[in-house]
Amino acid sequence: MAEESNMAKTAAEEVSSAEHTRCGCHFRPNVDIIERADELVVLADVPGARPESIDVDFEDGTLAIHARVDPRQDPGVEYRVHEYGVGDYYRTFHVSEAIDAGKITAEYNDGVLTLHLPKTEATKPRKISVKTR
Amino acid sequence: MGLIPWRGKQREPVTTEAPSLASLRGEIDRLFDTFVREPFGSLEWPFAGERGWIPAVDLAEDDREVTVRAEVPGMKPEDLDVTISGSQLVLSGEKKQAAASEGKDFYHTESRYGAFQRSIPLPQEVDPENVEAEYAHGVLTVRLKKCPSAVARRIDVRAGGQASPGSPPPGAAGDRPAPQPGP
Repeated sequence: MAEESNMAKTAAEEVSSAEHTRCGCHFRPNVDIIERADELVVLADVPGARPESIDVDFEDGTLAIHARVDPRQDPGVEYRVHEYGVGDYYRTFHVSEAIDAGKITAEYNDGVLTLHLPKTEATKPRKISVKTR
Repeated sequence: MGLIPWRGKQREPVTTEAPSLASLRGEIDRLFDTFVREPFGSLEWPFAGERGWIPAVDLAEDDREVTVRAEVPGMKPEDLDVTISGSQLVLSGEKKQAAASEGKDFYHTESRYGAFQRSIPLPQEVDPENVEAEYAHGVLTVRLKKCPSAVARRIDVRAGGQASPGSPPPGAAGDRPAPQPGP
């Protein structure tokens, strides 16, 4: 997992911070991060979440994803196979790039939250043509 | 073939420690968890292909039906296959990488992509003709009704002489390929 943490730090450094959830625990969603020349794209797997129950916050360079998930099974049901838990998702990232917070967009399809974080004009790569006299 | 243990989502306790210490501890916990839960996790999974993955499933059972739920985010319903083969429920499909990872883009990935197949042994009394599958918000739900004849029946015990010991009624705990016996 060393590879994972090293890679994550380049584009968006993960942070842990205090967050209050109902059950006192949460799941860390798997994310894909794509860094393009003009934007960061974050794809987070939050299966079971409904779009209206997902909160995305971006403040002071910290991106927070919080998705509330309702229980899928009645508490009395007995599981024969129980491989995963159902609960809220929460994860935060430090984003080192300058992001135009006003233009962040989010969409949710089939359990995957897609965030587009456009970089500010100042951080976009610019090609400067060299002129000859 | 038995069920393959799968390392599920990682549950994290809420912490109020300073971020640096908390993240260090989280990293250590994660390494420890990884080692404990999948000591051979760094090895290539031999049965699932080069980029294969195995979705986590839940299987719940009550008197009338068996419910199987799998978390397979990022799929389209048409890319999912649900088949019943003998006494096995087979979930298969292919998760396609939506965003093409071009060479110049920096890419960090934790999600699993590619084809998957998962066979789940079913209780014998499931009716293969009466199965519903639904995919919503990344969760595949398969509901399998039990045969009417398999719904638990009470059998009167007659007083008799030298009756041979009968077989247990259908639906008894011993019939099920479950990890633990029923109540």
